Amino acid sequence: MTDLVVPCLAFVPQMASLMEAVPGVFFGLPLMALASFVFAATHHEDDEAIGMATLHWTVWMGGVLGLVLAIVLLLGWL
Amino acid sequence: MAVSPDDGSAIDLRNPLLAAVLGWLVPGLGHLYQGRVFKGRLFLVTILGTFLLGWWIGAGRVVFHEWRPADKRLAFIGQAGIGLAAIPAFIQSRLLNGPARQTLGCSQWFAPPVRNGQYVSARYAARLVAAEPAIVADDFFDRPPLKQFRGDELAIWQYQLGRAFDIGTLYTMLAGMLNILVVFDAWAGPMGAAESKKKQSDDADTEAAPAG
Repeated sequence: MTDLVVPCLAFVPQMASLMEAVPGVFFGLPLMALASFVFAATHHEDDEAIGMATLHWTVWMGGVLGLVLAIVLLLGWL
Repeated sequence: MAVSPDDGSAIDLRNPLLAAVLGWLVPGLGHLYQGRVFKGRLFLVTILGTFLLGWWIGAGRVVFHEWRPADKRLAFIGQAGIGLAAIPAFIQSRLLNGPARQTLGCSQWFAPPVRNGQYVSARYAARLVAAEPAIVADDFFDRPPLKQFRGDELAIWQYQLGRAFDIGTLYTMLAGMLNILVVFDAWAGPMGAAESKKKQSDDADTEAAPAG
């Protein structure tokens, strides 16, 4: 078996610099969507209900986390 | 049997325990076993996809088990929500810290980092030197038949990967934690069913209560 390091974003210089340039908060967006979806899908069985609940939880989570981020930024600015 | 909270239809959970175990091993597999194909596929793609994305971002180094007094990999508690990752990581850790002092086939897949003062087999040390440019033969003290490392492989990984190490850890950890919800869904059915049943029961109690 060969020794392995999975080629990753950080090992491609252009991608690594791109990754450094992206604000960290954007890496959280897919996770927020995933958490909303899983939470919705474990509370419903119907496709449409899952979709609606996912939207509902994404808006709620985005709102709450956005508010927290805004407060933190405001405190940092003051 | 469980009841759908949306239309009240019955959901056949088949063998819930088996479904839960399958769902723990591979996200969504328990649902596929139960015939809940739509949800099973969605969980498989989203949760396993997020886990693999995190694993890739972290160059395959962010999922490992390490549980020593001074070095506890707490992220592994979350990552262990996916058995596919937890089992090999646990085995590799046990082997590296066991009498053999090397991982399975000396592979670095799911292997924990070698820490300062840790003993490894000569073969594993040679493999590390060959695979990792930042580690050289002089980084090991000769302690026949073993080698003792005098560096910190985790620090090397974190230096090489930068924020990718943390982002990869976060993605894999969250995917594992969310899979616990999925396992519960495979075991007991949708959680919304229990909530709607409790609400109905509360409503019935309110109506039954005497006025005034």
